[in-house]
Formats: sequence, C-alpha cells, structure tokens
Amino acid sequence: MKIHVYAGLKDYFLPEFELTEEVLNIDQLKVCMLAINDQAGKLLAACRFAVEEGFIDNTYKFKAHETVIVVPPSSGG
Amino acid sequence: MRQSSLFPQVAGDSGGGWAAPGSGPDSAVPGSGSGWAAQSVGPAGWVVDQPIDLVGLLAGGHHPAAGAVVLFSGEVRESNRGKKVAFLEYEAHVPLAEKMVAEILAEARERWNLTVAIAQHRIGRVEIGETAVVVITASAHRNEAYIANRHIIDRIKHEAPIWKCEHYLDGTKEWGNNCNCQVAM
Repeated sequence: MKIHVYAGLKDYFLPEFELTEEVLNIDQLKVCMLAINDQAGKLLAACRFAVEEGFIDNTYKFKAHETVIVVPPSSGG
Repeated sequence: MRQSSLFPQVAGDSGGGWAAPGSGPDSAVPGSGSGWAAQSVGPAGWVVDQPIDLVGLLAGGHHPAAGAVVLFSGEVRESNRGKKVAFLEYEAHVPLAEKMVAEILAEARERWNLTVAIAQHRIGRVEIGETAVVVITASAHRNEAYIANRHIIDRIKHEAPIWKCEHYLDGTKEWGNNCNCQVAM
C-alpha cells in the first residue's frame, strides 16, 4: 500500500512511502503510521483519508496495493 | 498551467441558461473574444500554478441575467501573528481539490440560483500582495451573490485539500492553522 502525505504531515513522514504489512482500514493505517512516528498523533487525528475515487470513512476497506492519501486539515485561502 | 477536464461537466449551464454569442471555454481566456465569456469557467482550472488574472476572470463574471457581481480576492499580507511574512507557498492534492471546488461551486449555483460561480486557487509560491484565491459570484440581486460568495470561500478554506505554508522573513515556516473565520464572524 502506497501512502501519500501532505503539508504538515511531511514534517513527520516522507511525502510518499509504502507499507508492506496488510492494512485493512483507516484505524489500522493510523496505527501503522504512528509506529513510524508517534509524534504525529495529534495531526493524524485531525486528518481525512482519501483514495483515488475520493474521501473515505472508517467503514472503507482498503484494497490490495491501493494508494491512500492522508489529508491534513485544509488551510487554503 | 493545468487544464481541467472538469469544465464541461461542472461549469456548463445545465439549468437552461444562456450562451453568449461566440463564447465557450476557450473564449473565457482574457482578451480572446469580444462577447461574454462562458459562465463558471475559469481559463485554467480551479487550481492553478500561475498568477490569477483577476480582470480576466471578472470579465467572465458578467451575465445578462445578473444585476450583481461580487468578487472576493484573498491576498497575501505582509504579516501574520506579529511575524513578517516573506511569501506563502500553497500545496494541494490537485485532482481532489479540483473535484471539491467544482462541487462547491455547483452546490452554490443551485442553492442561490447564481448565474455565475467562479473560483480559482493558486498553488506554489505566492508573493506579498498577490492573489491566492478568487471567488466570483453573480446573481439577479446582490444579496444572493454576497452570501454565496462568502459560503464558497469558507468551504474552500475549510474543506478543499489545499494547504498554506507561511514562510517568514526570520527563516522559519509554519503550515496552516491560520483560519480566522471564527474570529471574523
């Protein structure tokens, strides 16, 4: 599974990285990301998640080899 | 500059509206035509990496059914929280941001019966005094154009996957967390 992160998340993670372990849902993905950097917890808790088709919620089941976009709180304008 | 394939789907007038003589998406390019530009069509997509052409976009804001046109330009100011700003840098997930801005505009057009709804947001480095985001709304009467304009910019700021990084003159930088909507209301 490929993970893309943006904005402030890049202070904690590489912009793009890959997870080799099986990750089924957002909660599991958060656990995996916190295992990489536990300093990101506060920001990660405020993030939305998306796949190619758009934003997803906690009920979404990741597909194999899916690219997941981790979206920090917006700050445009 | 990025071209968006979303234009025909979200920017076209599906509500039986007008089509200016000789206009189409291409004629919305500033200075390219003599007629009205097509409504809701920006010249380069909703998210752009080049300076925003306010005058050109405003030219696309006119509409024979509109008695009011409102333009909001969000611009880069020289200070933030008491610190001198050098420049801003915007990042976006462009496909998601394009889709979301298009949806926001479509929703506002429907809700307030707008004749025109246009928005563009810069990405990349934006200098002091430059426009970072523009929203143009037009409607029969001014109240709807004002309300819809505020609604659109608030939704873009809060929901679109676009992020601001403030670069300060002291060499530090700071991501986001800068929305003052609650203070301003």
